Amino acid sequence: MLISRRTIAALAAALPFAARAQDLPAHERTLHEAARREGELTWYSGQYSAEHSETVGRAFTARFPGVRCNVVRSTSQVAFQRLSQDMRAGAAQCDVFSSTDFGHYSLLKRENRLLQYRPENDAGLFPDLRRADPDGYYHTSFMGLYLMAHNTRRVPEADAPKKWTDALDPKYRNQIAVGHPGFSGAIGIWAVQMRKMYGWDYFTRLERNRPMIGRSSLDPVTALNAGERGIGLAVPSSSTSLSISRGNPLKLIYPEEGVLATISPSAIPRNAPHPNAAKLFMEFTTSRYLSDAIRPMFGDPIHPDTAPAEGMRAVSEIRLISPTQAEAESGVPEVRELWRDTFGV
Amino acid sequence: MALWIALALALAFLVAFPLIKLMIASVETRDGAFTLNNYATAYGRARYLEALFNSLKLGALSAAIATLIAVPMAWAVSRTDMPGKGFCWAMVMAAFVLPPYLGAIGWILLAGPNSGFLNVLWRAVTGAEDPIVNIYTFSGLATVIALHSFPLVFLFVKSALDLISSEMEDAANILGAGTFATMRRVTLPLAGPAILGGFIIVFLETIALFGTPAIIGIPARINVVTTQLWQFFEHPVRMEVAAAYAMPLLLITVAMIGAQKLLLARKGFVSQTGKGGERREIKLGAWRWVMFAWCAGVGLFAVMLPVMVLVQASFAKAWGRGLSVDNFTFRNYYHLLFEHDMALTSVWNTIWFSAAAATIALIIALLVAYMVVRKLSRFADALGFLAMAPFVIPGIIMAIGFYAAYASPPFAMYGTAALIILAFAARFLPIAFANASAAMRAVHPEMEEAVRILGGGRMTAIRFVTAPLVKRALLGGWLIVFIVATRELSAAVFLVGPRTRTMSVLLYDLSEAGNFEVLAAFGGILLVITMVFVAVGMKLAGRDFMLRRS
Repeated sequence: MLISRRTIAALAAALPFAARAQDLPAHERTLHEAARREGELTWYSGQYSAEHSETVGRAFTARFPGVRCNVVRSTSQVAFQRLSQDMRAGAAQCDVFSSTDFGHYSLLKRENRLLQYRPENDAGLFPDLRRADPDGYYHTSFMGLYLMAHNTRRVPEADAPKKWTDALDPKYRNQIAVGHPGFSGAIGIWAVQMRKMYGWDYFTRLERNRPMIGRSSLDPVTALNAGERGIGLAVPSSSTSLSISRGNPLKLIYPEEGVLATISPSAIPRNAPHPNAAKLFMEFTTSRYLSDAIRPMFGDPIHPDTAPAEGMRAVSEIRLISPTQAEAESGVPEVRELWRDTFGV
Repeated sequence: MALWIALALALAFLVAFPLIKLMIASVETRDGAFTLNNYATAYGRARYLEALFNSLKLGALSAAIATLIAVPMAWAVSRTDMPGKGFCWAMVMAAFVLPPYLGAIGWILLAGPNSGFLNVLWRAVTGAEDPIVNIYTFSGLATVIALHSFPLVFLFVKSALDLISSEMEDAANILGAGTFATMRRVTLPLAGPAILGGFIIVFLETIALFGTPAIIGIPARINVVTTQLWQFFEHPVRMEVAAAYAMPLLLITVAMIGAQKLLLARKGFVSQTGKGGERREIKLGAWRWVMFAWCAGVGLFAVMLPVMVLVQASFAKAWGRGLSVDNFTFRNYYHLLFEHDMALTSVWNTIWFSAAAATIALIIALLVAYMVVRKLSRFADALGFLAMAPFVIPGIIMAIGFYAAYASPPFAMYGTAALIILAFAARFLPIAFANASAAMRAVHPEMEEAVRILGGGRMTAIRFVTAPLVKRALLGGWLIVFIVATRELSAAVFLVGPRTRTMSVLLYDLSEAGNFEVLAAFGGILLVITMVFVAVGMKLAGRDFMLRRS
């Protein structure tokens, strides 16, 4: 009972990582030597769920022994808030910053807060994901798919929404759950996208359906699992699938207008206390080993060598929608304010 | 002389400087020029003002409910022959040590309108459509807060009632008043100051609370001052605006304490005379079971039910699936204990931060109390005032003050353990001081004078005579500070760094990770640790150490 199936899966997944030094590519070996002297790095992560982040941190240390990864997982806006507090206080604590709100990066880059470093492994990512920043200040480390889901006991298949706009139907009053753009980066991106497609009116009408507002984009999944609500808006496909695999009566809905894709980078702050460990971590996130580590938990691979998790649709088969980085940078703070005016929190 | 300067410096560092810095920050631009813009920004939007009103409303409602819950309990335990007083004590104590945000999560599991156990049960029994309780409402939020703050009222009122002699009640009885009329017209009015004091404390605690409003208030769509303050810390960090926004809260606190003084100043509440009246238990007859049911009901809702559902969730694969064998797992605990990067570190952080803070607070409090009680310096009373001042500063405001004063260079303490320890020490200094000065008052100076006459210095006297005499009382004080520090969230949430997160902050982080099972398991670990320390406290400092008021 103590060693669950998931642990065994995690162990099995970790085994191939235990690479001996001579197996590492030359650039990783050099970095590993330098990183080992630093001993650790601190990762502010809003991209992967808490469980995924912990798994990634452990997989990193398994592949690069002697370099500990301190995982500080929160929602993306809270991670950014912590980073801002650090910057304001002049404290250097963060080595790698990962947020689903990709607007954060153009802002940080403009303020000259980031360290320039392009991981060599970046060239091995899916072609569309390479060179997220032409100047090499940040690099793709996450692709999240956000869609809808329903609790099949509360809302049967036939009654479930098919499109993003279906959620506005008054018949779903008191049935919907959604995260909060003041906390979740992905929800901010989603709100920018919805506003782009339908105007802010989408949210004033959504408000009439009295959605239950959580913080993380994962909160609706909890509400669905519990049967508190029937429909989750903008829930991550990975955590929802993980939840389904654990026996919860949920089902994914791929909205007809398209699935929201947040292709989000990570960056190293200029004042990172462990720059070599941070660079090594960047190499890790762009290698197949990150994708391998999240695959058993239904994370979406960003490396072509890793197949999608069982039962998951390949990204190439899905219609994806997403705002541009510029739209995200200026849009997220706007929709956050609008949201608070519309929903009161 | 050197001692008192050192003490003055310590208090200035812990209390005065952060507060002054906060006030200055509220009227400065980031470049240090004078401005009132921060206040304009802080109060320039209807939403921000509404948050302030919500807080005041919430504070008043929670305090009213807590008073309603606690006063009958305190009366029954103190004055009557109600059965099960030990059980009642245990429930009050448990409600006191249960961190409020943990209780909030328990209540989400109990009273979610569709999935909460109570509502599921209600629908199953009555076939009704609508939920019987809905946690995501204003009254739901206020009730949950009251269920975890009523022990404060209970403690105040009970200790006041303990002092009232039965003769006063006898007098009323002789003149024809029944038991309940007597209670209403004689006993409770005599405890009036204590009831008011308890009400005010709960009010202040509520408006300073961060965890419960964040966890329940956001889904319920209720914005309050603390969650609004948090928003001012979003990028770009607007600490100045937060400081400006916090000022009225500080004023309200000071005003409430002032009003209490005024209200009570002109009336007589003397119940203790030199004649040492008799205290008898009132015979309630069949009513004693009604009173017991009341106390048991409070215990049920404040402690037993929330803890039960939390424990259930902590062993569940998916809490929505309820109680069944195939839903049982140790995975959540296993994950936290063996896989989670921060869980054990945060446990250790919590223990040693709290221990260090309790030690610092108690040492300072003891020295100040010594100077105040022995009247060693003209300035002793000023020091005593400073030591009590944090009592009226909401934790979250203190944290912002600490951030303003010590986060940046030259101190550059942001993210260090020292910053959190000092903030905790400052926050709980008043508890330590109240304990220490009560203990000091109990030691007559003549014992020290004996040492001085025999040639020992003051320090020798303190070390070999006074300290051993007050040891037990101080141990109790230390443990109280320790225990309240282990559950402190609002002061910690702005000050922690990646490696200095405490259990309460990690719990808060977990609460936005969409995994209630792991969250509940971590709450379980926190509860076990607290219980161990409470047990140690009872063993070393006496069974009632948490509840003694001095």
